[in-house]
Amino acid sequence: MKKSFLFSALTALAFSFTIVSCTKEEEIGPNDKNSISIEFDNYVGGEKLVLGSKSYKNSLGEDFTVSTLNYFVSNFSLKKADGSEVKFPNQYFLIRQADTKTLTVTLPDVPAGDYTSMSYMIGVDSLKSISDVSQRTGVLDPASYGTDNMYWSWNSGYIFFKMEGISSVATTATKLFQFHIGGFGGRTSVTANNLRTVTASFGTNTAQVRKNIAPTVHVVTDVLQTFSQGTSIAKTSVMMNPAASKPFADGYSKMFKVEHIHNDKI
Amino acid sequence: MNSSRWRLLAVSLSFMGWLASCSILGGEASPAPLFSVPATFPQPTYDLSKNPITSDGVALGKQLFFDGILSRDGSISCGECHNQSHAFTHHGHGFSHGIDNQEGTRNAPPLINLAWQDSFFWDGGVFDLDLFSIAPIENPLEMDEKIGNVLQKLRASKEYPKLFKKAYGSEEITTERFLKALSQFMLTLVSANSKYDQFLAGKAQLTTEESAGLQLFKDKGCAKCHSGALFTDHSFRSNGLLPEYTGDLGRYRITENEADKNKFKVPTLRNIEVTYPYMHDARFLNLEAVLRFYAEGVKETGSLDPLLKQNGRLGIPMTADEQQKIIAFLKTLTDQEFLTNPRFAAP
Repeated sequence: MKKSFLFSALTALAFSFTIVSCTKEEEIGPNDKNSISIEFDNYVGGEKLVLGSKSYKNSLGEDFTVSTLNYFVSNFSLKKADGSEVKFPNQYFLIRQADTKTLTVTLPDVPAGDYTSMSYMIGVDSLKSISDVSQRTGVLDPASYGTDNMYWSWNSGYIFFKMEGISSVATTATKLFQFHIGGFGGRTSVTANNLRTVTASFGTNTAQVRKNIAPTVHVVTDVLQTFSQGTSIAKTSVMMNPAASKPFADGYSKMFKVEHIHNDKI
Repeated sequence: MNSSRWRLLAVSLSFMGWLASCSILGGEASPAPLFSVPATFPQPTYDLSKNPITSDGVALGKQLFFDGILSRDGSISCGECHNQSHAFTHHGHGFSHGIDNQEGTRNAPPLINLAWQDSFFWDGGVFDLDLFSIAPIENPLEMDEKIGNVLQKLRASKEYPKLFKKAYGSEEITTERFLKALSQFMLTLVSANSKYDQFLAGKAQLTTEESAGLQLFKDKGCAKCHSGALFTDHSFRSNGLLPEYTGDLGRYRITENEADKNKFKVPTLRNIEVTYPYMHDARFLNLEAVLRFYAEGVKETGSLDPLLKQNGRLGIPMTADEQQKIIAFLKTLTDQEFLTNPRFAAP
């Protein structure tokens, strides 16, 4: 009894020291900044996505492999519990499953604070989509894609989301299915708008940006969700018309979930 | 001694001033303006402030325009399908032959007065001249090359880094510089000195037949779509052509709006005499066939322009004689100076 009291007291003492030292370290200076990384981890159902020969099945029972999975994410915004928001305009990222280093997006110069949710756009917003060529650098440079093209030259605009693979139910001669989703709403006429915004609450977690903490938000996707709003490979094996792509865009807007957040000290 | 030293200083100062002005303007002032807005034209739609036209920029653009380096195997330049003598259409070809002798799917449009155009291609799929050139370069039937590869080839060439330096002040070759140089050359392709323009300026007389044709052109309503000094209102309309040759649905391909099926951009009529064959699918060999079509061949396409179905009749009522007169007028839109100007000629 006595022993256990002493033990509890010591533990409590040690714990309070930890708390004190934590609070002290986590005090937020008015000019403290750090980055937030968002890691996109692509899954199919419960399985990690492997490009190439691995076969998956969608809810319609259609088998498919994934040879290419690319998508643009942009217009990130982070929110605190008090509703205040930090926006990251003019930052565009191209997630390419084939290139590991593109899977983590880093937002620089985030003011220190506790962030409780984030939102971002899948695609390239309409203003950028009609901007002067001088505004199209980095992942928006049409010269940057090579054979893995993410830009439509004949119908000016970016391919927001691209998924290709092989399916036994595909109606093409080579059994290849190609889903290229674009359409920012049009400039000279109103056309289909497949821009989608994803909002993710961090739930009980927060991303705690401190002078010495650069959080990582781990986003897990479920590629099966792309089929959840009515897309069937057997019905549409080649999808490149923005108007017909709406169900697929609605589907992929549901595929992103925040799994957990790391607030590790540097 | 003292005064000569001062003179030297003054000379070197003025030389420095000249250098500075050059680097700011990006080139020497040239005697004839590279680009100017003809008196009868509206203000250009192209924003020239984002791509100031300089003689070195135009020279670079012209070099690129006529260079097969833009294509996968070096065989096809822009000039291959856009010949000056035919107002930058492909002489004698309905559909141009691109790389590996593959045939395209639409009639190459003329490159005339592009600074006033707000959309490009028969279906208007591209809305900025600077973004236009990517399409023919990457089209597998045309040049079948990747923009990134083109830039790599230009960087590796002996000549181009120097030309880019002259035009932009450094040897750096970027997508923007490349595309804007091509735009600069294309923007200079202004045609505004036809016989009709000279007539408007009081410098030439139209023949009786040509004047009658001009009057008919207005009375029959041709000028409602082929309007103004540019001879186009830049709209998309169905003029009564069924998609019976190529299945091409025109503007619908871009907007996916049912109402846009069979609609194509109203083309300019400037230099129309030399841009044969006619229409997006090149179905008419000569102007006689075109006029006969408007008189007798217009079909209900589902989206036929209301101007072509008036008084319970399809098409435009015109006698053979009236058609001839309109053709005579259309030929006054030929601009010999434009078609032969050495500034636009292949090097």
